[in-house]
Amino acid sequence: MENLIYLYGLLPTEEVTDKPLPSVKGFDGKGSIYTVSMNKITAVVSDLNPADYSEELIKDKIGNDTEWLQEKAFHHHEMLTALYKKFTIIPLKFCTIYKNEESMRSTIQSSKEKVEDSFKLLKGNEEWNLKIYCDDNTLKKQVSENNPTIEAKKKEISELPRGRQFFENKKIDQLIETELENEKNRVCERVHEKLKEYSLHAAIKKNWSKDVTGLKENMAWNSVFLIPVAQVERFLEEVYQVEEELGESGWRFEASGPWPAYHFSSFS
Amino acid sequence: MSLKESIENKDIALIDILDVILDKGVAIKGDLVISIAGVDLVYLDLRVLIASVETLVQSHEGNREKTSSIHFDKQRGELVHATGQPNKWTD
Repeated sequence: MENLIYLYGLLPTEEVTDKPLPSVKGFDGKGSIYTVSMNKITAVVSDLNPADYSEELIKDKIGNDTEWLQEKAFHHHEMLTALYKKFTIIPLKFCTIYKNEESMRSTIQSSKEKVEDSFKLLKGNEEWNLKIYCDDNTLKKQVSENNPTIEAKKKEISELPRGRQFFENKKIDQLIETELENEKNRVCERVHEKLKEYSLHAAIKKNWSKDVTGLKENMAWNSVFLIPVAQVERFLEEVYQVEEELGESGWRFEASGPWPAYHFSSFS
Repeated sequence: MSLKESIENKDIALIDILDVILDKGVAIKGDLVISIAGVDLVYLDLRVLIASVETLVQSHEGNREKTSSIHFDKQRGELVHATGQPNKWTD
């Protein structure tokens, strides 16, 4: 049976001719990685035995074998990080697999212009991720003390007859929760707008729950930026300053990068 | 050290990697459509998710050779040779 092709990423062919590819083992830990050139685009791939890497088997592993997922996800990430250090690269999503070389070639050929545009976009720019975490309890305390909406409500309640105060006070907890969420969004949006000034492109991603992150704080914001290399330090200084300013009110800002441009080379 | 350098040298957890490599950004769809974005990470082992990737990256960057059974076999062979005793191992 024909080998499957695991595609790691795409490089501009002109860069590959200058520098050799790192010599490392492929996705199955046995064969080596190699390149397939299609004019201006060069794919970095490795072969997979279809008996070991059928769609069902991979799905089963991903769902049930965390150690496998950890090993393979690290492998994918390390490979792309190593390539990223030497080349302009369009990283592919984890487990992008083709039935054979021909199928990969024709798929890439049909997106040729977009691939080449992405190369241009990525050159000289870096992808950075920013996660904002918030300790809800610390912030809640401040919101319940300093929020104008809540203050107005408290004043309104204090002027009510005793009996009704009891019920209205119960409702105020709910109001605090709502205002807490509003405050979190306000802060995150303000920071995001500020940081966008340093970037070419910015996007907002999904937040992860505490069950996934294992942290005691909630993830309040998860965002990604494409930043010109010369602006990166200023971007990070801005993050640092915001952290200085807000750190005591329960906020934590976590920038990571530069990442192979998983987000910004996407064109599907 | 610049801020950038200090961040680059920080450890990355699997959760951060999965956040990136499983993201919606499929550039060019493969034939085998492995849709893991739909996998609920909540069911994965948390200790694994937040495990740091530091050691793996370092072993690569330090150009250190990976320890493998081939190495051990080679070393064993050398030791056996050095003792001048007959080899009791069956390969």
